Amino acid sequence: MTWRILHLDLQAGLPRLEAGRTAVYTVFWWGSLPLGARAFLPEELPLRRDQLLTLAAELVAEQLACRVDTLGGAARASFDGRPLIEPSLAAVREFEGVADAMNDLARPAEGAAADLSVIVCTRDRPEALASCLSALVSQRRPPGEILVVDNSAGRTAEPACRNFPQVGYVHEPRPGLSRARNAGIAASTRPLVAFTDDDVEVHSGWAAEIVRAFDSSEVNSVTGLVVPAALDTEAQRFFQFEMGGFGARYVPIRFDGRFFAETLRYGAQVWRVGAGANMAFRRSVFDRVGAFDERLGAGAAGCSEDSELWYRILAAGGTCLYEPRAVVFHHHRAEWVDLRRQMRAYMRGHVAALLVQNDRHGHSGNLRRIARQLPRYFRYTAFDVLKNGKSDRGRVLVEEIRGWMAGLVFAVRPRWRANHPPAPPGTANAR
Amino acid sequence: MPYRIVDLELSQPLSALALGPEQDGFGLIARWQGRLVGFVMKSAAPGVTMAEDALRALVEREFGTRILAVKAEAALDERWPRLAPDGAPSLSIAICTKDRAPRLRRLLGSLDAVRSTSRFRSLEILVVDNASVDSSTRDAAQSFPAVRYVSEPRTGLDFARNAALHAATGDLLAYLDDDVVVDRHWLSGLYQAWADCPEAGGYTGLVLPFRLDTRAQLEFERLGGFGRGFARTDHRAAKLGNPLHPVGAGIVGAGCNMAFDRALLLSLSGFDEALDTGAPLPGGGDLDIFYRILRAGRTIVYEPRYAVYHEHRETLKQLRRQYWSWGVGFMAFLVKARRTDAALRTRHTAMIRWWFLDKLRALAGAILRVNLERARFVAVELLGGIQGLLGAYDRSVARSRRIRKQPRDLAHSSS
Repeated sequence: MTWRILHLDLQAGLPRLEAGRTAVYTVFWWGSLPLGARAFLPEELPLRRDQLLTLAAELVAEQLACRVDTLGGAARASFDGRPLIEPSLAAVREFEGVADAMNDLARPAEGAAADLSVIVCTRDRPEALASCLSALVSQRRPPGEILVVDNSAGRTAEPACRNFPQVGYVHEPRPGLSRARNAGIAASTRPLVAFTDDDVEVHSGWAAEIVRAFDSSEVNSVTGLVVPAALDTEAQRFFQFEMGGFGARYVPIRFDGRFFAETLRYGAQVWRVGAGANMAFRRSVFDRVGAFDERLGAGAAGCSEDSELWYRILAAGGTCLYEPRAVVFHHHRAEWVDLRRQMRAYMRGHVAALLVQNDRHGHSGNLRRIARQLPRYFRYTAFDVLKNGKSDRGRVLVEEIRGWMAGLVFAVRPRWRANHPPAPPGTANAR
Repeated sequence: MPYRIVDLELSQPLSALALGPEQDGFGLIARWQGRLVGFVMKSAAPGVTMAEDALRALVEREFGTRILAVKAEAALDERWPRLAPDGAPSLSIAICTKDRAPRLRRLLGSLDAVRSTSRFRSLEILVVDNASVDSSTRDAAQSFPAVRYVSEPRTGLDFARNAALHAATGDLLAYLDDDVVVDRHWLSGLYQAWADCPEAGGYTGLVLPFRLDTRAQLEFERLGGFGRGFARTDHRAAKLGNPLHPVGAGIVGAGCNMAFDRALLLSLSGFDEALDTGAPLPGGGDLDIFYRILRAGRTIVYEPRYAVYHEHRETLKQLRRQYWSWGVGFMAFLVKARRTDAALRTRHTAMIRWWFLDKLRALAGAILRVNLERARFVAVELLGGIQGLLGAYDRSVARSRRIRKQPRDLAHSSS
C-alpha cells in the first residue's frame, strides 16, 4: 500500500478527503495554524461532511482552549508530556465567535526574525543539506544569520553552502553532534539560537514563529512540531505510527518546574519537551547552564544531548515551551537497517544521558529509570509484540535492548562519568 | 455503596452536590444545552457535599474542551455548505423481551415521552414476546397506545430479533433490550445519524448506566461498561492501527441499542439464530451482525446522542455470568467467522491469541493486586472463552435446529 501526505486547510471551507487507492496522512490547518494530523486507510475514505465536522470541531476546540487567553492559554504538561487542558467554565460558556477567533490565531507571525541565528549541523549529506538550506533561505521573515556546521572530516558540505551566499560555513572536524552544535553556538551572534537538522525542511514561517514564541513569553527554550516529510517506506511509517515519530501534539505545552518535580522520581521525562530537529534557545541560557554535553549526541553516546540540556534548564528553574506553530518537515530514515541502528543509538544515548543527569544533579530517579522503568517498558513492549504479532516491533525492541546494554557500559567507565562541566559557549573549539 | 447519578446541564449555573448518608460517589452525566457531552464517575466519602468550585474544577477538566467542540461544530456547520437528505425513512423499533414486564413498561414509557420528537416518516413500536411464561408481557405492551405485540415462541434472542425483522415495516429497524430506557434525544440522535449518513448499514449508540447502586453495577462501569465515547465514530471494513479489525466487532457498539437498514438485514438473512440461544450460549449475535455488515462493505455509525441508559447486572453473581457469556459468545462468534469467512482466517486466529493473552494478563494483574473479585470476573470470562472454542457454537447450531423444528404453537404451549 502506498501512502501520501495531504495538507488540508479548514479555513478555506469544507475540504475534500476523497477515496482513492492510497492511504493518506492528513495534516489539518486553519490557514497557517496547524491543527492536528490523522491517518486514514483507503477503506476509511472518503470522509463525509459530518465526519470532517466532528474531527474539525475537536481540533478547533483544542486550539481555542490552549491559545485563547481567556480560556486558559498554553497547557501545562502532564507527567507524561500530554497537555492538561482545563479551560475555565465561565469563559467557555461566554465564548462566541469561533471562526473569528481562529482567524486571529491563524495570523502568521509578522515580526522580523533578525534576532535569530539558525544553526544546521551536517555530516556527509550534501543533497539533503541543499534542500534544507533552500527552505531556510526562503523564509518569509529571514533569520539574522544561518550557519552550517560541517562535522565531516573532508568538508563535504562546503560546495552546497557555496550556492547560498547568505549562509555562513563553520568547520568542526572533531566528530560529535554536540561538538558541532557547540561550535555553532560559539560562532553565532544573535540573542536567539535555533537548531535544525540537515534531513529537515522548515516551514516558510518557521523562523518568525520561533521568534514570536520567545517574544510572547519568558521561556528559555522553544521547541516545535516535527511533521513527517514522507511516509513512502515501511520503515518511515513504522517510525511515525509505531514509535510515535517526533510527537504529534498540536497545542502549545509548557514544561516547567512543576513538570520537572512531578516526573523526577524516574528522572524527569525531558525527552517529551521536543526534538533536536526543531529547537531553539535564548543565548543567555547557555551562560546560565552551559551548552551541549559533548559526551552525548550522535557521534558520541548516541542522542539525548538535546533533552539533557532541557534537563539542566528545568533543574535550574527555567521553562521550556513546545509551540507547534513552528513547523518543520522531517525525512525519517527510509531503510530498516538505518532505522534499527538509529533506535539502538537512541536507547544507548538515552541511558548515557540518564547517567549524566544522575551524576550532575544527584537525582537518583535517573538510575531508577535505567534499572526499573526501561526494563518494564521492554517487558510491556515484548508482551505487545507477542499479543499483536508485531514482528517489526520485535526486531526494533531487540535493538533497543542492545542499545540499553551498550548504555550500561558507560556506567562502569569512571573517567567518562567524571563530571565534565558542560562546555560554556566559546570554549568548545578551544579545548 | 450506591453512587448518586446526576444529570448536569453545564450551560446552567452549577451548584453544590450533596450525597445521601449511604452514597459514596457521583456519576455525572454532562450535557451542553441538552446534548450529552460526557460521563465521569467520582468517588467521595459517604454523605459529603461536593462544593461548587470543586465541581467546577472537575467539569473544566473533564468536559471543558467538549463544550468548545460543540460550539466549534455549530460554527463550522454554518460555514460549510450542506446537503439536505432526501425524504425521511420510516422507523420500526423492536423490543425483544421475556418475562420482564415491569422493565418493558419502563422502556415503553420512556419511548412514549420521545415519540413527539420524531422526524421519521412514520414510527412503529414492536414488542416481541420471546416465550414469556405468562401474559404479563402482552398486557404491558397492550397498555401503551400504538404498540404492536408479536409473539415468538421459539426461545432465543436471535429468533426474536428475526421475528421482529420480518414483522417490521420500517426502512430502519432499531433494536432495544428491555433493560434500558431511552434518553430524551434518542430518537433525534438516530435521525441525525441517518441524515448525515443515510447510506450506512447500521447505527449504534451510547449506553450509559441507568443506576449505580450495587457493587456489581459500579464494578461493571469501572471496568469500562458499555462506554464508546462521546464523539461520533465511523466503523468500516478496515481501521488504521487495528490490524485485526473488524474481527474485534465489539468496538462497534452494543446489542442493547442498535439500528439497521432493514433491507440490508434481510439480504444478510438476519441474525444467526444459533447465537444467543439462551442459557448455554447467551451472546454473540450482535457481534456477528456487526461483523457481517462491515464485511459486506457497509458502514456502521456510532452516534452518542442516540443514547440509552442500561440497568447493569445487580449482583456479582449475575455480573460474573455476564462476563462468562461474553467469553463464550465472543469465541463462538470467532469460531463461526473463522469457518465462514476464509479470507480473514489469519485475523481470526490472531484474535484468538490476542484475546487469551489479554485475559491472561488481566488475570495475572488482578491476582498480583490481590483483587480477587476482579480475578474471578476474568477467570469466568476465560472459562467462557474456552467453552466457546470447544464446540459451543456447534452445540448451539444443533440446538437451534431442534428449536426451529418445533411447531410454533407446540413450542408456545410447551413453554
